[in-house]
Amino acid sequence: MASVMSSQEFSLSVADCPLIQIEGWDGTLAQFEKGVSASLGTKLPASVGETVRHRGLLVVRVAPRHLLLALDDGIEAPSLAVDPDLGCSVSLGEGRVRFSMAGAGIARILSRCIAVDWHAPAAAPGRAVQTSLHHVPVLFLRTGETACDLIVPRSFSRSLADWIADSAAASCA
Amino acid sequence: MLRIECPCCGLRDQDEFRYGGDASVTRPGHDDPDPEAWYRYVYVRANPAGLHREFWQHVIGCRQWLMVERDTRNHAIASVAFARKAPAKKSFTQTSLAQKSLTKKSPVRKSTA
Amino acid sequence: MSSNQKRLAAGGRISREQPVEFTFDGRRLVGYRGDTLASALLANGVTLVGRSFKYHRPRGIFSAGPEEPNALVTLGTAGRREPNLPATTLELADGMVVESQNRWPSLAFDVQSINSLLAPFLSAGFYYKMFMGPTRRAWMFYEHFIRKAAGLGRAGTDPDPDRYEVRHTFADVAIVGGGPAGLSAARAAAAAGARVALIEQDFLLGGQLLADPSDGVAASWLRQAKAELESFENVTLMRRTTAFGAYDGNVIGLVEQCGQTDPQRAGEARQTFTMLRARSIVFATGAIERPMVFSNNDRPSVMLASAARTYLNRYAVLPGKKVIVATGNDGAWRTAFDYAASGAEVMVADLRAAPPAALTAEAARLRVAVRAGTRIVDLDGGHAVRRTTLAGPGGESQTACDLVCMSGGWSPTVHLTSHLGVKPVYRDDIGGFVPGAFTAGRFGAGSMMGTHSTADAIDDGHRAGIEAASFCGKSASVPAPSKLDLGETATAPLREISSAGRGKAFVDFQMDVTTKDIELAHREGYESVEHLKRYTTLGMGTDQGKTSNFPALVAMAALRNATIPETGATTFRPPYTPVAIGALAGRATGHHFKPIRRTPMHDWHMANGAEMLEVGLWMRPYFYRQSGRDVNEAYVAEMRTVRQAAGLMDISTLGKIDVQGPDAAIFLDRVYANGFAKLPVGRARYGVMLRDDGIVFDDGTTTRLAENRFFMTTSTAKAADVLSRLEFLLDTAWPDLRVAVTSVSDEWAAMSVAGPKSCAILSAAFPALDVSDEALPHMGRLESEWEGRALRILRLSYSGERAYEIYVGATAGGQLWSRLLEAGRAFDLKPYGVEALGALRVEKGHVAGPEIDGRTTLDDLGLGRMAGKRTGFVGDVLRRRPAYLAPYRQRLVGLECIEDGKRLRGGAILFLPGEKPYGHGRGRITSVTFSPERGHYVGLALLAGDVAVEGNEITAVYPMKDETVRARIVSPVFLDPQGERLHG
Repeated sequence: MASVMSSQEFSLSVADCPLIQIEGWDGTLAQFEKGVSASLGTKLPASVGETVRHRGLLVVRVAPRHLLLALDDGIEAPSLAVDPDLGCSVSLGEGRVRFSMAGAGIARILSRCIAVDWHAPAAAPGRAVQTSLHHVPVLFLRTGETACDLIVPRSFSRSLADWIADSAAASCA
Repeated sequence: MLRIECPCCGLRDQDEFRYGGDASVTRPGHDDPDPEAWYRYVYVRANPAGLHREFWQHVIGCRQWLMVERDTRNHAIASVAFARKAPAKKSFTQTSLAQKSLTKKSPVRKSTA
Repeated sequence: MSSNQKRLAAGGRISREQPVEFTFDGRRLVGYRGDTLASALLANGVTLVGRSFKYHRPRGIFSAGPEEPNALVTLGTAGRREPNLPATTLELADGMVVESQNRWPSLAFDVQSINSLLAPFLSAGFYYKMFMGPTRRAWMFYEHFIRKAAGLGRAGTDPDPDRYEVRHTFADVAIVGGGPAGLSAARAAAAAGARVALIEQDFLLGGQLLADPSDGVAASWLRQAKAELESFENVTLMRRTTAFGAYDGNVIGLVEQCGQTDPQRAGEARQTFTMLRARSIVFATGAIERPMVFSNNDRPSVMLASAARTYLNRYAVLPGKKVIVATGNDGAWRTAFDYAASGAEVMVADLRAAPPAALTAEAARLRVAVRAGTRIVDLDGGHAVRRTTLAGPGGESQTACDLVCMSGGWSPTVHLTSHLGVKPVYRDDIGGFVPGAFTAGRFGAGSMMGTHSTADAIDDGHRAGIEAASFCGKSASVPAPSKLDLGETATAPLREISSAGRGKAFVDFQMDVTTKDIELAHREGYESVEHLKRYTTLGMGTDQGKTSNFPALVAMAALRNATIPETGATTFRPPYTPVAIGALAGRATGHHFKPIRRTPMHDWHMANGAEMLEVGLWMRPYFYRQSGRDVNEAYVAEMRTVRQAAGLMDISTLGKIDVQGPDAAIFLDRVYANGFAKLPVGRARYGVMLRDDGIVFDDGTTTRLAENRFFMTTSTAKAADVLSRLEFLLDTAWPDLRVAVTSVSDEWAAMSVAGPKSCAILSAAFPALDVSDEALPHMGRLESEWEGRALRILRLSYSGERAYEIYVGATAGGQLWSRLLEAGRAFDLKPYGVEALGALRVEKGHVAGPEIDGRTTLDDLGLGRMAGKRTGFVGDVLRRRPAYLAPYRQRLVGLECIEDGKRLRGGAILFLPGEKPYGHGRGRITSVTFSPERGHYVGLALLAGDVAVEGNEITAVYPMKDETVRARIVSPVFLDPQGERLHG
């Protein structure tokens, strides 16, 4: 994990982001999710934007038939049984980067970055929002009252970290 | 700027979406050899002044294709739904039970960085 | 002259203990905190502020708000120089450097005011008549002089050193306008429980209440309203913020001025562009007073009556002591009364034969002279008024004065609602346009809806606030608002504006449009309001005709003998007031203009002499400086390395898509023109996708990893389009197919090792892997792990040489790249860039973006055999339409240059030898390269099939450089047609 900037007002650090995406086929989704739920040992988030945290694993529903499993640093990947007749999985952990942000100024700084209403229930702690940051698709995870993560494509990560850092520097000047 | 209410992500800015054209035309079957049918699907448009059914993809979001009813005169959006229809039932359940042995484990690789 | 000589000793909303220094045309002046530039200039006795657009007539301060057409100034110097700003909206700041505009050599003595004498030639339609048709050539000659003479301020040419910001905000209820209606609406909506954003363009809340005495009942109501709003946690007060546009989805574009007035905020953005997304909107935008139209009504010291009252009460400036108030309505009388109370000598000229008795009684009490049934018809004075001519029942008389206050009634500010497509409708009882029917979630309140009195505006705002909150599901009970009755009377206004003109009577002050221009337009048949606007340029200035549209409409209606609704109204479009482009761009300038995509090997390229090239959003190595002095030298050297030894290329930018599912093979069989169902596991195949209309969409290779899993690559440019298209087909056309498509473009670092020594290099780099031809044949695949990451090697060739594409988890990309270079050192492996990559593929005759240009079919590209007789794939039916098979259709050929020392160029137009080079020709060159193999330039071209005979000559014409080159038509495969090098 590399710290890009750090202050009371705002901190930003960047880390790799082990990630797996699973998708169930239409028509047999309930059966598929039952299996996934059993092998992870947790219930799954019911609707898009909901998350479930379980033993260092964050399960996010990103689309009606898509779940993302994000692993905390140092957590072993769960062994996941996916029946190919019910769904599939694809590892996305090499291609994503996690920005962790926190601080009193976070809402103000993020308002210059993404069109997400910090105060809306859809962005409350524990919620996930897929949106764009400077035209790039990102996954916003609200982790606390004044904290959030953004999971961003690796190829854009330096450009986006610059964008956020500039926004923060300007806003805290 | 349009704001489109994605059925699963909520109300979002237009620039999270990709326009996908007229949704009122019928796509011929993939093996339909009738040039007339394909011609109508690709080229013939009613271009109404009023309610227009169109495809949009929530491409910076859930990536679902949506069917939006938009009034071309004032951009008022009357409805948004998933474009995806329920699939035709296929008789694969039998095979899937038989092929349980194919079930594989796919661990997530941990990066060392 | 002493400083602030027109300032009253007490009163106003200025801080006399906070003097603010500024310069106007180099003159050092002092105002106070709380002043606008306009009020500070007036306080210092400056009446002449600018010169007009066309006639260079002297102009002064006309209004006290954003409607100002006259007092436009240039603020700042060098890169900060910003022209055409209304002095009436600039909050006075220390060190402000202000210049007047459109004058030479000086404001007081302007050479071009002689344009006034040329006025007959500068009337409406002058440019059109003079310079279109047979005399059009004259424009070439005169343009320079006209451009110098006409126009407004001059923008700076230095880079703008300031910062701008874009911000996203949200609210339940947005309230536009901080006057009595808006304040009342904000309070009601907030009390009902809604999240409220109140937007006010001014730096003070209050709207027209600020024109009232700063120690009266209006002021105390305002104080209380403000305190109450500030006590709500769910209210955001946005001052200095203009709602410049209202858009679909209840999005309001706001621009906030900051940093320029307050040195403490110097580090902040000078302007912030905010996109406010609201669930409901209350428009409480107020109304704008209209001028009266009479001869010389544009002279300095002629101003709107409400503005004069604002300067007196808000800024404690008494701009004149002998005041004429010309009106046809009740409101302007309050200006007369306040001026009289401040010691000025005041006369009211009211168009109405019998103004209300209450007003005349008050006038008598304050010793205000009243002339009923009287109009102002002319005015004397150059840089300030001296005398007016009034025409009344007793004939004409002349009266000395130093300030003329006029009021032609009020126009509700319907600009924003008009942006939303709400058509303004005319209300005869108020003599103005109000918004028509709103759609759900939008409300109006106060004078913008035609409400007359402050008391009614407060009630109106209260109701609108409650409704707007209720629309968002917030309906807590709201206590009644506190009352404010300013005793405004509401008798029907008289709307009559034209006068028997002697001199120019201006309708549009900024664009210098007079009543005569409107008469001319009418005479020449430009009767429709939209035509009038374009013919005379009325309303086309930076003020968008805020004060001129209605008087022009009245004038045209009179000329046509029509009613106002019959005459129509023009459409308002954003922005309501000018917005700096910089504010719209925000931080998206320079290196943030667009997001930059970097491959995992980016840092290596930067550290090792790569010249980078932007390809879409990606940064890719163009060439490496150690290969040659410039790109032309370098790419040829890099090509030779690949053909003779081996080259290493970063191909991480390729689109990569994971395709999985029981029906994946069926799916690919339908989306590719060539078959994939029978592709064996572990093998790759080149595939071409078509669009529904039969045109080639994209190409790439797809590898079968397992029975139900494929790894697709797309071109760099089309990666996103291809994925969306695949998802579209799965969601809408074939929902029964159980297939998942996922972008894995960022997952993999990808590099290609190409050249005769590539196999040896792989063996050296991966000693544990068997990369022999048996284990990894051409189009074969190998899966393994490297440093804990997945490793995939595909034996594919783009250059025509034996080559391997190596994919590794993105986090290990840089490491593997270095490993390969190290292993390849003994084999002369060198990196190469996209220029060489492109050249190698041209030499090999592979098509790419320049050929797959959205107009070519498989047959055009010579790839028809790929589809063969297959059916049932996307684009299959329409690709066989007769027009695509016409003999003259352009198809892919190779060209080689047959003139020594000359070159081919991409984009050159092809003609038959001896044919006159005119028009579109027979085709064009799409890609070229110098071929080290052939020793001359070769190229790919699209050439009409009926003349594309191999061996024949063709002429390539490049008019941009006046070049004509002879070339021979050959096979597009310039190198190794048998493909032996793939195995070399």
